[in-house]
Amino acid sequence: MKRYALLAITGCVLVFVTQASSSREGPANKAALGEMLFSDPILSRTRTISCASCHKPAFAFADTSAVSTGVEGRTGVRNTPSAMNLSLQRTFFWDGRAKSLEEQALAPIRNPDEMDLPIEEAVRRLKEDSKYNSYFRNIFNSEPDSTNLAAAIAAFERTLETSNSPFDNWKFSDDPRAVSDAVKRGFTLFNEKGKCVKCHFGADFTANEFRNIGLFNGRDFNDSGRAVISGNKEETGKFKTPGLRNIALTAPYMHNGMLRDLREVIDFYNEPGKFVRNAVGRDSILLQPLGLTEDEKKDLEAFLLSLTDKRFEQQSGAAAQ
Amino acid sequence: MKILLISAAAFFYAWFSGNDVLTGRWESRPSERGSVTGVVFKTDSTFEGYVNKKPFATGKYTLENDVFTFVDNGCDGKPGSYRIIFFSNSDSLRFQPISDSCEGRRQGMSRLVMGRVK
Repeated sequence: MKRYALLAITGCVLVFVTQASSSREGPANKAALGEMLFSDPILSRTRTISCASCHKPAFAFADTSAVSTGVEGRTGVRNTPSAMNLSLQRTFFWDGRAKSLEEQALAPIRNPDEMDLPIEEAVRRLKEDSKYNSYFRNIFNSEPDSTNLAAAIAAFERTLETSNSPFDNWKFSDDPRAVSDAVKRGFTLFNEKGKCVKCHFGADFTANEFRNIGLFNGRDFNDSGRAVISGNKEETGKFKTPGLRNIALTAPYMHNGMLRDLREVIDFYNEPGKFVRNAVGRDSILLQPLGLTEDEKKDLEAFLLSLTDKRFEQQSGAAAQ
Repeated sequence: MKILLISAAAFFYAWFSGNDVLTGRWESRPSERGSVTGVVFKTDSTFEGYVNKKPFATGKYTLENDVFTFVDNGCDGKPGSYRIIFFSNSDSLRFQPISDSCEGRRQGMSRLVMGRVK
């Protein structure tokens, strides 16, 4: 009898311990929950794509397509920007229509050309999913709603900062051997003859401004960009200057993904008029050709490659060129 | 004897030269958003500026008495001139604008308070 009683007590203790530990399972914090959500197709109408379908970790949380592909193969009109190094940015999306990462996080979910899921439906799905319901309760002390959904995804995105590239090792750690002479010459060109720094100045190599680089002519290039958001006609053809960290991994380039690789980007800035005829409102910085030589273009490219974080070193082979 | 004299002269020059009080790494405390701004002032009168360990600003400076004058890779090469105010036993500093036509930089520098990283 004693033995049965002991067994029963042991059984009860085991059940209690198992249940208690299972209720503690799951993400430890907002960012970890956000990471799960970021990769979960539950947030698309067809349950086929997730944020990570376009913001692929291997490509610095961007992708390799000219424009984003949404549910049922629908294509958008703009290139997927990297979701890394966003903490210091003040606006989001190419046209800056979101003023916070939280605001940004929900937009692709509801966008018909992306995940095409109304936020109310996304929240209903998460509430009905016992796993997520429990995770949200553990972390936010409440069931899923649009606010904590956005907060979780934004918290994850804020963890995606990189500051360990060969360039960083050279400048922050004062190690001149971290980069080649070509990188050093390229950085000088970036700051001087190439004029790149005029727009790409800042910790993530963006001044967080909107610029018209000459990709609008009102005919075959007719994305108005920032003007649609601001209502200011003067901003027609302006787009947010993207950051350049890990840029070697995020080809193709520009808001419409029209340039295949970094060399083409450098060629474009060297002489924008060769790429888009009759551009309207091109920034005065770009009115005259830069006159870069072949060697200078190579040096500039070497500098851009040196901005690749070492976490991507093996896959890109781009570091310390 | 000559070598000793030269060494002594070099030592006293280094000791009293203005740049010496500045050389080294200085950082701000984390802002509300958690950002840390820092600058490394080097012995060759160049400096590197960064935010959250992300370097991007680079330039040359002089320090004469308490007047810090510099050019960097932002602001179209325009120089800025600031009075450096050291405090807390000279292990903290802030910048008081004397002249800087680059408004964004002037605002940023005026807010910046940094402590020497030890």
